[in-house]
Amino acid sequence: MSAPNCLRCLVRPSAGIPVSAPRTVSPLVTPFVLARTAPFSTTAANARPKKEAQGKSDGGGSSRGGKKLQLGKFKKEKVADRGRTPLPGERKAYRKRITLSNDNAIPVPWLTDLGPADLADPRSSGKVMALPEEVQDQLRASEAFKATQCWGMFRKPAVLVRKETTDLVNRMEDAVDKKETLRLVVTGDKVTGKSMMLLQAMTHAYLNNWIVIHVPEAQELTTACTDYAPIPNTDPVQYMQNVYVLKLIQAIKRANEKVLAKTYTMTAHPELPQNMPANSSLLALANVAKEAEGAWAVFQALWTELTAQGANRPPILLTLDGLAHVMKVSDYRAPSFDLIHSHDLALVRLFSDVLAGGGAKFPSGGAVLAATSRSNAPRAASMELALAQREAEQSNKEKEKTDVEVPKKDPFFRGYDDRVEAVLRSVQVLRLKGIDKLEARALMEYWAASGMLRAMVDEKTVTEKWTLAGSGVLGEMERAALLTMRV
Amino acid sequence: MASHANLLRLCLRPSKRLPNLRAAAVQQHALRRSLSTTQWRSAAAGDAGNKEAQDEFDQVFSNPGQFLQNFLRDEKISDEERKIATAALADWKKTPRHKQAQFEDLAQKLTDQSAPLRRAYQPKKDSFWNAEETDTDLITGEVGEDDFEEDDIMALGHAKLEEHREFREYARIAVWEMPLLSKLAKPFQPPTADEVLRFRYTTYMGEFHPADRKVVVEFSPQDFPGLNEAQQLKLKKLAGSRYNPEKDIIKISCERFEHQAQNKRYLGDLVDQMITTAKDPTDMFEDIPLDTRHHKFKPQIKFPKEWYMTEERKKELEAQRKQALLLDEAKRTDGSMINGADTIQQALLTAKKAEAAAPSLVRVRPMRGRR
Repeated sequence: MSAPNCLRCLVRPSAGIPVSAPRTVSPLVTPFVLARTAPFSTTAANARPKKEAQGKSDGGGSSRGGKKLQLGKFKKEKVADRGRTPLPGERKAYRKRITLSNDNAIPVPWLTDLGPADLADPRSSGKVMALPEEVQDQLRASEAFKATQCWGMFRKPAVLVRKETTDLVNRMEDAVDKKETLRLVVTGDKVTGKSMMLLQAMTHAYLNNWIVIHVPEAQELTTACTDYAPIPNTDPVQYMQNVYVLKLIQAIKRANEKVLAKTYTMTAHPELPQNMPANSSLLALANVAKEAEGAWAVFQALWTELTAQGANRPPILLTLDGLAHVMKVSDYRAPSFDLIHSHDLALVRLFSDVLAGGGAKFPSGGAVLAATSRSNAPRAASMELALAQREAEQSNKEKEKTDVEVPKKDPFFRGYDDRVEAVLRSVQVLRLKGIDKLEARALMEYWAASGMLRAMVDEKTVTEKWTLAGSGVLGEMERAALLTMRV
Repeated sequence: MASHANLLRLCLRPSKRLPNLRAAAVQQHALRRSLSTTQWRSAAAGDAGNKEAQDEFDQVFSNPGQFLQNFLRDEKISDEERKIATAALADWKKTPRHKQAQFEDLAQKLTDQSAPLRRAYQPKKDSFWNAEETDTDLITGEVGEDDFEEDDIMALGHAKLEEHREFREYARIAVWEMPLLSKLAKPFQPPTADEVLRFRYTTYMGEFHPADRKVVVEFSPQDFPGLNEAQQLKLKKLAGSRYNPEKDIIKISCERFEHQAQNKRYLGDLVDQMITTAKDPTDMFEDIPLDTRHHKFKPQIKFPKEWYMTEERKKELEAQRKQALLLDEAKRTDGSMINGADTIQQALLTAKKAEAAAPSLVRVRPMRGRR
C-alpha cells in the first residue's frame, strides 16, 4: 500500500489533483484514468477495468461490475403441480350432476313402483313410492330432478305421496275429464316441496301418457343469459330465444318420445326448413329442429299441432319452476335500450297466456302448473299480491264466508305490474305447508329402512324431528334427520 | 378582568404624573394612524410645547406643595383653577413640618413598594409561553379556606346537612301543605258530545320557555255530528300526515304565534275551515286514496284461539297421543317397527352370510346402478 499517495488523497478529495497515479500506467494516459477514478478513495486506482465487467455493462447489466452477492443462486426452480385443470364446462357439469341411486343404501323391501292411478288415489297418500325406471328417464330428460334434492342417498328414487299431491292430481284429472285446463300456482315457504310437487305432477302425467313441457329454471329465460332475437312481423315486437328453444325441443322429444311418435300432424308445415307433410308424426316434426336457427319456427309448429282443435291429442302438462323470474321485467334490452318485459319474450308469453286462461286451448285438456321459489326469487310485488288475493278469495269461497280479508293494492306503491296482474287474475293457488305426523312417520321409516337414519322410528323420534322442522317442513326434516350426522 | 391588583396599579400609575397634561399627550398619540407602513417617529425636537410636556410628564413630586407650585407655574390654566390651587398651596404651607415630612415618607414608601406592580412585565426571551410569569391578577378572596381549624365539621359535612334540611323542608310541605290542595280539586267530568276538540297546553310553572306557547288539538272526524262518511274521508285526506289511521284521530299543533291564546285561536279557526272545506261538495278528492304512508301500523299479535289449553283441547291431544302410542305398540307387536341401526346391522350380516355361502366365487364389482 502506498501511504503517501493515500494521504495525499485525503487532503482534498478532488479529481483535479493528481493523486494515486499508478506506476504501471504511462504518463500519457494518466489524466484519462484519473478522471475515471473515484474522487475520494483510500485505495490505489486500478489501472485497467476488467474486460468481462466492461462487456457486461455494455450488455445493460450491472454497471458496477465485479462480484455481486447473489442470494438463492442455487434455488431449485419451482414447478407448481396443479394437476389437470378442469376442461371448460366440467365444473358446471359436476355442480349440476344428478345422482339418482346409491349402491350402498339398503334396498327397502316394501317399496313399490308408482302405477298410473296411484298418485290420484287418496289411499296412497302418506306412503313412500318409487319412481319407475322409464319415468326416471323421462324426468331426467326434462330436468325435473334438482341437484339440491337428496336423490343420491337411496337405492332407488322414491317420493312421498302427500295429501296435497293427491289433491293436485285429482284436480288435474278433473280438468282433463272436462277437457279444460287446470291453471295453478304452487307456492309456500322455503323447502316445503314446491319443486317436488311439480315433479310428482309430471310423474303422473308421464305415467298417464300426457305430453309434458317443463321449464326447469325460469331464470334461464329472463336473466339475459341465452340468445334472443326479435321475431319479424310482430307488433308489439316479441323476441324468440332460439338456443333455449332448441334445447327445450330436444328435452320434449326425449321425454315424450313414445307419445309424440303416436301423434300425427294435422296440416303440412311448408315454412319449416324441412318440409313436413300432413299426417307425419310429431316426433318427426320435433326432429326437424337440428340447429338453433329456425328452432322457434319448429317449436311454433309443434305447439300449433299440439293445440290443434278437433284433433285427438293427449292431455298436455305445462310446468315452470321459479315463477317470479317470468313475472317481472327481464334483463334483455330492446334496440332502443329499453328493458324488455318478460311477457314480450315469445316463449314466456306462450306460457303466461295459457296461465292467464286466454292462450291456446288444449284439445284434450291438461294443466299449467307454476311453482314459486323462495330462495332464488326476484321481487315481484304484483305476483305476491295476486297470489295472496287469490288465496284469500279461495279460502272465502271454500268456507262460504268473507272472514279472510282480501289484501288490497297499496295505492302509493309504484312497483306493481298490470300485465302480471292480468295473468294471475284467475289462477288457483296451492299453498304447501309442513307434512303431518303420519306422513312424517312414513318418510322417516323409509329413511331408516334405507339405512340413512340410525334411530328407532317411534312416536318420540317422529315428533321430535317434526317439531324441529317447524311443523314438518320437508326440507327442514331432511336437515334435522337425514343430513345430520347426529341422531 | 379588572381585578383589585390591576385597579390599584392603574390608580397608582397616574398619581405621579400630571393628569391634564398626560391626557393631552396621550390624545396626541391616539391621533396616530393605527395601521401604517411608515415607521413611527416621536415629535420633532423643535416642538417646544411638546418638549415641555414631556419634561413635566417625567417629573416626580414628593408632596402636594411641589405639585401645586409646578401647576401654578403653568400659564395656560384658568383663573379659577389658579385660585383653587393657590388656596391649596397656602393650606399646605400652613401644615406643620413634621406632618409634611410624614406625608412625604408615606408617598415615598408607597412609590417604592408599588414599584414592582407598576413595572411592565417583559417576558424573557428564552421562556416558553411566559411560563415563569406569576399571575398577579389572581387573588382569591378566601385566604386559608382549606385550612382546617379543628373547631368545625368539614365543608362536605355542611353540604350534607344542608341537603338534609332541604329534604325535611319538602317533607314538611308534603305532610302539612299538600293535603290542603285537595280542597281545590274538581271532580273529573268527561267531555260531552259537544266538546269534540281536545286541547293540550304546556306550562313550565311560570318560567319562560320557548315551548310554552305551543298548543295541540286532537279530534276524531267521527265525532263531528254534521259530517257524513264521504266528508269524513275528505277531512282525513285534508289532514294528511296529521291523521292517525290506527286511532282515527287528527292531531294538529301550533306554536307559530307568541301567545298560547293566539295559537289556540288559530287552531280553532283552522278546524272550522277544514270542516267547511270537507263539507264543500265541489271536489271530494275521490281520485286520491287516503295516504297512510306516514304511519307505521303496529301488528296486533294475539294468542291464537286454537292454542288455548281448554279441557276439550286437552282431551283431544290426549286421544291423539294415545292413538300414536297404540300405533307404536301395534308396530312393536307385529314387528314392523323400524330401527335404523338394526337395519344396517342386518344388512351387513346378510352380506357376510352371502359371502360365506359362496366363498369360491370370484368377487366382481357390482354393476354401477348410478345413472
